Amino acid sequence: MEQVLATTLRSAAPLVLVATAGVFAFRAGIFHLGLEGLMISGAFTTVAIGDATGSVELGILAAIGVCMALSAVYWWVIGPLGANVIIAGLGLTSIGLGGTAFALGAIFDLRGSMFTDVVLPRPVRGATSGPGVIISEHSILVWITPLIVLVAWIVLRRSRFGLRLAAVGEYPFAARSAGVNPSIVRLQALLISGALCALGGAELSVGTLRNFTENMTNGRGFIAFVAVIFGAWHPIGAALAGLFFGFADAIGIQSQINITERVPREFVLMIPFVLTIFAVWLGGLWRRRTLEAEAGYAELREPDY
Amino acid sequence: MTGGLQRAASTVLLVVVSFLLTALILWVSGYRVGTVLSGIIQGSITATGAATSTIRWTIPLLLIGLGVVIGFRAGFFNIGGQGQFYVGACSALVVSLGWREGPVPLVIMCGMIAAILAGMAWSLLPGYLRVQFGTDEVLTTLMMSFIGALVLQYLTAGPLRNPSGTGQTAASERIPEAFRITDSSGVSVTALLLVGGVAVLVWLLLERTRFGLTMTLVGRNPTMARWQGIDVRRVGLGTFALSGALSGLAGAVELYGPGARLVTGFSPEVGFTAVVVALVGMLSVWGTVVAAVFFGGLQSAILFLPIVTDLPPPALVLLHGMVAFLVTIKFRAVRRRRGGLAAKPVAG
Repeated sequence: MEQVLATTLRSAAPLVLVATAGVFAFRAGIFHLGLEGLMISGAFTTVAIGDATGSVELGILAAIGVCMALSAVYWWVIGPLGANVIIAGLGLTSIGLGGTAFALGAIFDLRGSMFTDVVLPRPVRGATSGPGVIISEHSILVWITPLIVLVAWIVLRRSRFGLRLAAVGEYPFAARSAGVNPSIVRLQALLISGALCALGGAELSVGTLRNFTENMTNGRGFIAFVAVIFGAWHPIGAALAGLFFGFADAIGIQSQINITERVPREFVLMIPFVLTIFAVWLGGLWRRRTLEAEAGYAELREPDY
Repeated sequence: MTGGLQRAASTVLLVVVSFLLTALILWVSGYRVGTVLSGIIQGSITATGAATSTIRWTIPLLLIGLGVVIGFRAGFFNIGGQGQFYVGACSALVVSLGWREGPVPLVIMCGMIAAILAGMAWSLLPGYLRVQFGTDEVLTTLMMSFIGALVLQYLTAGPLRNPSGTGQTAASERIPEAFRITDSSGVSVTALLLVGGVAVLVWLLLERTRFGLTMTLVGRNPTMARWQGIDVRRVGLGTFALSGALSGLAGAVELYGPGARLVTGFSPEVGFTAVVVALVGMLSVWGTVVAAVFFGGLQSAILFLPIVTDLPPPALVLLHGMVAFLVTIKFRAVRRRRGGLAAKPVAG
């Protein structure tokens, strides 16, 4: 049981980080389906630069830089150039997945995965049994994730920026009337989002493991996006949803071990997706009553190009 | 038709830009772009079996892409083609393995109908939620897509697993050879007639029927369509059903054609590439046919390329991403010109 909880925390940390990234984008009215691509770019850059310089800090800084740059390009394409948010987001995901796998082959001449010696520091170690296992062997990023969520919550709830973000997301017309430039606010939100995705990717590649593997995010970016919806685009809600999906993942790993008597692993893995369909359905039922949300939402979706 | 011409020109331009950007990345990474290009031409057209292979990859892209066209025309972002494709293939597999002794044409027919129904069901659930409750279909179709991939994984690793298989990835048992409509090249007269027939039917439906017209109207302006007395819900459900049916059928064709068995996570990119195909084809049926052949050729070439250069295959995923990233740029520029500015705040 302790082991399941420890695995939950490890599985959840990248999800929670990327979900927080998704909350920022979503609050700005951007239906960000590029999270997966940013996350894998972050994972790759951390390993590539971290390994080259021998410093995990430099690796993470480079990852943040790369992901913020990609986010800025994404903003440019969907904002000033007016591309479709959803299609461009999916394109960004493919660029991330394809680009990192390509770079792995082209730069390092490797197929599949790349191992590294750099790893994030682990503040608490050594417990092998008892409740200590729950908090032992986690990377520093797992420890600071709750802090990041808390800061995100304060920023969104208590700061000028958070208020502007909400205005831009919910009713850009009103924001514009109040002298806020929605485009700039969206850029800021996407940059924050990119940095958080980089951290999520870094935790994935050098937090628990010490390698980068092609397609290692394996849909986690999308699950994080789902956590955003499931958590009603509230940072705490999204974090709890991420934690829950991490738990489902941990259970999935456990049921894989004794597969004969338990539910097949695939069905456990379906849980987040099935729950999300319910969540989006119920959320939509509720949202339809708030007319104000419609304007921002329509701009967010833009099905009518 | 200058608007149409402009759109075509801007699409071609954006696709060219995507290719140039990808070529730039290859060049910076130290690949000789000329060698890669000649490899692509060989691998898609001139090498032995290359043209056949191009058609083999065109078939699923075209079928799923036409489904995407139908959805997008009516304004519904059905991006779950991958999952609908998988459950279609799975249903056809279950029918074929469960009824091995049956009369060949009947089994194939039943398998295809099962695939179509499964694809429809996979698409209709999000569709129903969309038209009935306004639930966002981008998310629900995406979720259904992941669920479909897990269904395939479950079947190929569990109940239908080939026990004698030794490969790293789980694969199902093979269907009897008699059921196959093509050999392993994936191309035969039957398959081509089937796919060509479907393309013509879709064209007739979209361009020559009342339903096609109402669909396009609903896509352009659902509010106006409703005021004109169009039953938007019915049109929406029909759209989702057709769109899913085509993806499901693609799954059956894949199984009865080149596949003969299903492997966990086979053709993982085809659903997304089909979206790219539909967009590059400017949501027109014949445009989509051309785009499908084009991207089918690239898919075929990437399998051939290792022979001439050591380009890693994910370069193709990168290229697809690049095209998707940029290809929709034109759309809002068009809407802006139409004077949407006054009515609606625009981003940027």
